[in-house]
Amino acid sequence: MRFRAKIVDLACLNHFSRVINTIAKLAKTCTLCLTDSKLYFILSDKVVNGGVSMWCELCQGNFFDEFQMEGVAAEHNEIYLELVPENLSRALKTAQSAKAVKIKLTNKHCPCVRVAVELPSLSSSSRIVTHDIPVGVIPRRLWNDFREPSVPDFDVSIYLPVLKTMKSVVERMKNLSNSIVIEANLSGEMNLKIETDLVSVTTHFKDLGNPPWALEDGCQSSAQGRDLESMAEARIDIKKLQQLLAGQQVNPTKALCNIVSKRIVHFILLHEDVSLQYFIPALA
Amino acid sequence: CILHCFLFLLVFGRAIHAIARISDEFWFDPVEKGLALRSVNSSRSAYAYVFFSSMFFQHYCWTAVSQPCQKEKQLSLPCKLIIKSVLPVFRCANVLERNVEKCSIYTNINDHHITFQLLCKHGVVKTYNLTFQECDPLQAVFAKHMCPNILKVHSRLLADIMIHFPTSQEEVTLSVTPMKVCFKSYTEEDTDFSKTMLTEIQLNPEEFDYFQVGVDSEVTFCLKELRGLLALSEATSVPVSIHFDVSGKPIAFSIEDMVLEASFILATLCDIEKEPTSQQPPCFSQRQESNAAAVASKKPQWNGNVPNTEPAKPASHLAKQEVKNIPRDTKREMPGIEGAALTKAEDHTGKDFKTAKASLPHAVSYFYKYCIFQFHSLFFGAVSCMEKDAISHTFHSLATASDTEEDFGSSPV
Repeated sequence: MRFRAKIVDLACLNHFSRVINTIAKLAKTCTLCLTDSKLYFILSDKVVNGGVSMWCELCQGNFFDEFQMEGVAAEHNEIYLELVPENLSRALKTAQSAKAVKIKLTNKHCPCVRVAVELPSLSSSSRIVTHDIPVGVIPRRLWNDFREPSVPDFDVSIYLPVLKTMKSVVERMKNLSNSIVIEANLSGEMNLKIETDLVSVTTHFKDLGNPPWALEDGCQSSAQGRDLESMAEARIDIKKLQQLLAGQQVNPTKALCNIVSKRIVHFILLHEDVSLQYFIPALA
Repeated sequence: CILHCFLFLLVFGRAIHAIARISDEFWFDPVEKGLALRSVNSSRSAYAYVFFSSMFFQHYCWTAVSQPCQKEKQLSLPCKLIIKSVLPVFRCANVLERNVEKCSIYTNINDHHITFQLLCKHGVVKTYNLTFQECDPLQAVFAKHMCPNILKVHSRLLADIMIHFPTSQEEVTLSVTPMKVCFKSYTEEDTDFSKTMLTEIQLNPEEFDYFQVGVDSEVTFCLKELRGLLALSEATSVPVSIHFDVSGKPIAFSIEDMVLEASFILATLCDIEKEPTSQQPPCFSQRQESNAAAVASKKPQWNGNVPNTEPAKPASHLAKQEVKNIPRDTKREMPGIEGAALTKAEDHTGKDFKTAKASLPHAVSYFYKYCIFQFHSLFFGAVSCMEKDAISHTFHSLATASDTEEDFGSSPV
């Protein structure tokens, strides 16, 4: 099992750092899957996570100037590692002016991802800062836990409002309630509602637009033939929603959510070279 | 004595904050030439000294109140202040300089008060009256010029290095050879590598303003105690000098210019397994037996775990160090007697360190070597069993609280 990669371009480095910072805000521990073309940050829906799951996909070519990996075996050319993204975030934080960043998998005392940052210095040779981040290697028999989640059979799919606005609304609501109801319909209307003994607050968004989903095989989804005004809703943990919104450092190109009434809300945030899917289950 | 002066707030405030990282109390010692502030932590493993010459102040007036004394030269009367009472005065030193026009410090020994008076904008006057305790003077003697390794560097470089370590990182190891310099996270034999992120920074000697490495060494010291000095150095733009020797010997970080001098002397971790066991004088054999297990496991051992029934034991280990040192360098300012008095003191500081830092999970497995702190005091006279209780009593009164750091224990998401 081998992995080496190098980033030389500062813009790519900053972009990669931002992605890692976002992941670090969403998960304390997650799985990193490396293939020869992509990187995936995965959080599978275990009870310990509160049932949320995450799938973040990056094209390595958009970030790394050099990228070589060798999986466990030729027909299983993938590497699955368990790591704490905050460590990676911290290692990259002080690399903002780096000449180059090299990342590789090593096994000195235990399996580690070694991030070596080459910083400019006053002398002829550069300053080298090395961070050894311990990782866990996930054995092949557990790889099935980390398959890409399928898009659920949603009732409504709608584009999200401007994330900054949505974030400030949700942050204020967080002070009043532990759970929030997201409801939306196929006419581009979305409401965020909280209700407590003392107060209920609803924020209405309209003209959001509904993304057109091309269906394979021409099969019917729950969304077909649905009354345009009828709202699909789900009550979810407000902290999880707030974490998702607060973690976004850059405005995505596309942001939408799919609501399965009373079951789950599936968020999709697309940037040029990164896609992030986040599932928040409905509360009982 | 009566002290009356105005001052550069930012620098003074940063000095107070730097000292605050060492201990909760500090010695306030005005002398004719200027004002000295000193502090030592409860485990006696860190000592800070900041001296502001009278020229630092806009106005400095020190009047010795005549008092009967036996010696010829005037004894300055040092006093001890609880630092937490002083910190609020200089909180947000950056903001202070903008709002405060003048700061005066008055002392009056008769009513045991020190008054800090801040004359702020818009006619606001803030007066802080702090009580002080009379106490014995504190002074550490450290032969900086005897250190084989000396590095001099601008504080910016040190700050740029330290920023790579998390704020919760306690110990850092500095490793030097004539060809390279390396700062890295401290690890020991039983560090759980699968849970700890390790950071290492390699530098070229050319980056230092002055670089002298007489002996290859690897010293481990407490980083958080140093951060205050770095902030002070940044405020004064004075470069930092680092004097050190091999592991176990203290490391000194100091800055010095026309009006200000500051030294932070930190104990460094001592590796027991590196000491040669063959040269042991016979009287120390007792110590060797009891520690055979520790040496065999090659772990730095905490002295405080040794039962106190045989007080000679902890002393003997340190004395062993002295014995080893003396043949190497007879010019050191450490005659045997003072060494013995010193080791007697260490016996009890060992106890204090253990109780004071018991809350820190890894502290118990450390053996901090306190070297070369020499306390001029009436209490530390001859070494005798009778005085043992008196000494421990003294230590308890000085070590009021362990050095709790507000950001200790803060961990990332």
